[in-house]
Amino acid sequence: MTKDRQDSIPRKTCGTRPIGSERPSRRRFILNGGAAIAAGAFGAVPLRGWAADPINIGALYPTTGSMAQIGVGCVAAAKLAVDMVNEAGGIKSLGGAKLNLIISDVQSDTTVTRTETDRLITGNKLSAVHGCYASALTLIASEVCERAKVPIITGSSSDQLNKGRRFTFTPFARASQFAKTQLQMAKLVSEQPKVAVIFENTAFGTSTSNGLKEQAAGEGVEIVMFEPYSAGFTDASPLINKVKASGANTLFSISYLNDLILIVRTVRQVGLNIAINGGSGGFVMPDFYKNVGEAAEGLQGVAHWNHDVSEDAQKVNAEFKKRTGEFAFEYAGGLVAQTFMLADALERAASADPQKVREALSTLDVSSGYAAMAPGGKVKFGPDGKNIYGRPVGVQWQKADLVSVFPKDDARAPLLKI
Amino acid sequence: MFETIVQAVINGLLIGGIYALVSIGVTLIFGVVKIVNFAQGEFVMLGMYISFYLATRFGLDPILSLVVTMPALFVVGVVIQHLLIRRVLGPNDMPQIFLTFALSLLLLNLALMLFTANYRTVHTSYSDTAFHLGGLYIPVAKLIAFILAMGLSGALWLFLHTTDLGRAMRAASQNRDVAMLMGINPNRVFAVAFGAALALAGAAGSLLMPFYSAYPFVGQTFVLMAFVAVVLGTLGNVLGALVASLMMGVAESLGIQFVGADSGLIVVFAMLLLTLAFKPNGLGRGRLRS
Repeated sequence: MTKDRQDSIPRKTCGTRPIGSERPSRRRFILNGGAAIAAGAFGAVPLRGWAADPINIGALYPTTGSMAQIGVGCVAAAKLAVDMVNEAGGIKSLGGAKLNLIISDVQSDTTVTRTETDRLITGNKLSAVHGCYASALTLIASEVCERAKVPIITGSSSDQLNKGRRFTFTPFARASQFAKTQLQMAKLVSEQPKVAVIFENTAFGTSTSNGLKEQAAGEGVEIVMFEPYSAGFTDASPLINKVKASGANTLFSISYLNDLILIVRTVRQVGLNIAINGGSGGFVMPDFYKNVGEAAEGLQGVAHWNHDVSEDAQKVNAEFKKRTGEFAFEYAGGLVAQTFMLADALERAASADPQKVREALSTLDVSSGYAAMAPGGKVKFGPDGKNIYGRPVGVQWQKADLVSVFPKDDARAPLLKI
Repeated sequence: MFETIVQAVINGLLIGGIYALVSIGVTLIFGVVKIVNFAQGEFVMLGMYISFYLATRFGLDPILSLVVTMPALFVVGVVIQHLLIRRVLGPNDMPQIFLTFALSLLLLNLALMLFTANYRTVHTSYSDTAFHLGGLYIPVAKLIAFILAMGLSGALWLFLHTTDLGRAMRAASQNRDVAMLMGINPNRVFAVAFGAALALAGAAGSLLMPFYSAYPFVGQTFVLMAFVAVVLGTLGNVLGALVASLMMGVAESLGIQFVGADSGLIVVFAMLLLTLAFKPNGLGRGRLRS
């Protein structure tokens, strides 16, 4: 590098143009200026009037790009959660310190996620981070957090997040557990379930589908088709054509929203009589019903959280609905619970130091209040950062509402067979 | 098995019709104005949003909204050609590339700001219905889209071959300088070509709306296929782009059916590379000939 530059100087002096240090420096100026503006736009808001120093919580969500839709909902939930904690008096062991949310846009992009997580951690004194909803992004953010020794708590379901990590906490059901619930739901529909599995080929889809494959035999479910696809296709017909040819009576589609809308509409067009389990992801979002309309009735799915799992959840849902006009989807509701878990840890740590917050999170054990607002109603982390009580909830679209139907403890209504 | 193959070919042809509308626009602009329009997909997106809002606000059927999207985008095309493209036409390609690329980014981010990243769909009476023939099915919305796409492509072909303006366009595409010497006003020809290409993009948007979701990034999905089709069918060749689009739709569909659902594009690109290896200029012959 240096050598190249030295070589180039005499050549440049020979040219007609004088040595221009102007160009690189202007570029650097613009870069620095851009960074300064970005820091100003996203950076911490200076505190006014609080006795105790606020506690900075980083929030990494894609608010632009292809995943922006859910990311924006997550940010709304993160703000709601912080308001709830602060209105209840903040962190009492730290003199009523308020939580201060520092939001960063990871732009639905893995490279940006890495640099943004780095920037967020080095640029601010963070006690903890939460994000990014999409497993592919969370895996990256988690790596950066591990290196920086800042705890990250996430609703993402990829099992990889529990491998060899110390600062990553996952309070909700894992992808492999989703699989078991889905398979058990298939048995509620048909006594001899023949399942076609189609999944988008990134971390989220592959980990979920592998869980399905591994556990199918144990649950007595036959998988007749197992097919990855690349997300963002233009036409679902060839894929559904393949499902039709497989002779399946249940379809598991592990997809993000846009693909799933196409898949469901195409199944209806073909007139294929098949029970669809949309799994998690785009399927359990309010927008799904709005887009698919009545064709969505009776479709099943699994979620790591649902707005009717407990009374606290229903309260959060009412508030979220008031703010955004939509019911609290799984990541949104889960995020509120996660923020209360962080508050609980901060309270017990009596310190904003990320290492101490990590220690307190690892000994978290709650079974009441907003922090325990999860299917199963209890949160306690194992050594791999997994909630040992974590389990998914089976849901079904019934009369434009997402209703918990499985397992019995969480069910609010029976599963409708279609 | 036979039925499955026929169904895969039908599916491929139907989506290929949409690829054709996008790729014919790109190839028309390249053939006449000699620039690559990277923003073509964003104009499809624009067409989709116009159709979406006409359908949700005024109850206009998305396919009927063609009569609004096509003229609207034609005007947009003429204005863009007149105010922007015209100024960067010259011996240097770089400003043109950056201009259309910037236009693409600008439209994309404006759409994100104005329309948000939400997926928007329109439900029509025929959205979820299909004709069933034996074990085969043909979705009504896609069939209508396909027929209209072929009709519009045919109309463009007739326009290029039977009208004076169309002939002038082909002349300008073959040799701009000689065409100018023959008294053809290049600015007028370029403006009409750009407008017509964008009108086709708008049409693609309207035709997609009954069965596809509108979102700011939607154009990118289609423009990739369009560029492959344009190269495969020889740059600037309208009929080549049409044939290549249909071929790609079928190749993608068969690829998904028989290779794997994440391999549709692999088959398409393998087809492109093989074609280029044997016919480096693509399947077609010259520019804007047919």
